[in-house]
Amino acid sequence: MSARLLVGTAKGGFWLTSRDRREWDVTGPFFKGWKVTAGVRLSDGRFMAAVASDIYGPALYSTRGGRAATVGGAVPGPDQWEQVAEGPAYADGGDRRLRQVWTLKENRGVLYAGVQDAGLFTSADGGRKWAPVPGLNDHETRGGWMPGAGGLCCHALLFSEDDPKRMWCGISAVGVFRTDDGGAAWIPKNRGVSMVLEDKEHKEIGSCVHGLAQDPADPNRLYRQDHSGMYRSADGGELWERNEDGLPSAFGFPLVVDAGGRALFAVPQESDEHRVPAGGALQVFRSTDRGDSWHSASAGLPSAHAWGTVLRGAMCVDDVDPDGVYMGTTAGTVHASADLGESWINLPVHLPRILHMSAWSG
Amino acid sequence: MASVTIALPSLLEPVTGGVREMSASGATLRDVFGDLVRREPRLKPHLFDESGRFREHVLCFHNGVNTRWMDGWDGPVAEGDTVLFMQAVSGG
Repeated sequence: MSARLLVGTAKGGFWLTSRDRREWDVTGPFFKGWKVTAGVRLSDGRFMAAVASDIYGPALYSTRGGRAATVGGAVPGPDQWEQVAEGPAYADGGDRRLRQVWTLKENRGVLYAGVQDAGLFTSADGGRKWAPVPGLNDHETRGGWMPGAGGLCCHALLFSEDDPKRMWCGISAVGVFRTDDGGAAWIPKNRGVSMVLEDKEHKEIGSCVHGLAQDPADPNRLYRQDHSGMYRSADGGELWERNEDGLPSAFGFPLVVDAGGRALFAVPQESDEHRVPAGGALQVFRSTDRGDSWHSASAGLPSAHAWGTVLRGAMCVDDVDPDGVYMGTTAGTVHASADLGESWINLPVHLPRILHMSAWSG
Repeated sequence: MASVTIALPSLLEPVTGGVREMSASGATLRDVFGDLVRREPRLKPHLFDESGRFREHVLCFHNGVNTRWMDGWDGPVAEGDTVLFMQAVSGG
């Protein structure tokens, strides 16, 4: 079964395509010199990518032509991308700066962009025009929001398949928020999570969520890689409990679940001080019992002199059965598993620092 | 009202569809910048931040003179002037 990967790096985007998920072709870079920070394939078949430059700031691009332009595994050429003219933007004259789009999602025909400085924007017209979400962006706790090492960013979004008005977002180093009314009001949901920076006034914020994942069969069963450890919640985030049994370290960034909900994947790092793979061995840990226990699923990964780690957006799964799992490292290496993490291949590429990966079948 | 030639860096080619040189008109630099982003609105967030000033690492030269050395953007421009945008060579 064929698959396509969008690999966003610090110096441009790359396409990796494969008919069998063993042999891969590389196309790129596109947006050469720009960070590619997020990507999504829209329901109408278009691709959307977020780019950013330390000099020239962020932008959104979408492809022209819809699904017909990329049938048969074709990838968009450089001239197929067009910048969104009225992308997410904070008000002129204000204190907030739009520095980067960290995540792009589509749910029930609405597009969502989580950004830095932390905030959320939506588009109801396929990404042409965007509007802020004041209930989150102007939240009563905002005065206590402090940036993490990666900046003050809204980087994770989850939606409820059961309830169209329920969704979650994750902001580092603030915590998880949930809305139950379609985005008008947002409530911090961090009970049970150790705070990393307690706020003087707002005691419900100050945790640092790094990654969020959701059981495909139960939208209220959540998983959370936090700065302070690995957690899960069985009730939509009302209460979190640690689930770290078998992990060599509870510190890490990415956390993904396969489309069938059979396995969770994490990439532990050696402490929040060092932030490297322990012992120079790139290891993936997998849980096949909803987080009750974790075991190394690292066959084939570099086991020595591998000091690049995996950032929060640089791990993803496809929807081909058995599911493909993919990750890219800060050293520019790309690793793929076509069997739900049982074995890995190391792709023969040496890309710039990898920030984002998305995968699609076909 | 003078027509000014605007030169853009290669990194902005994705924004302009590969165009590196544009025209903009006005009586002052401020007018010219305003006309530039009216003609190509996609350039605005890449050159200016939410405060209305140039982004921190954006450099702009009017006829070879760094605009940061000027006392504001209200000085006059003349027909055929050049405005060059480039990124600051910050750091090693």
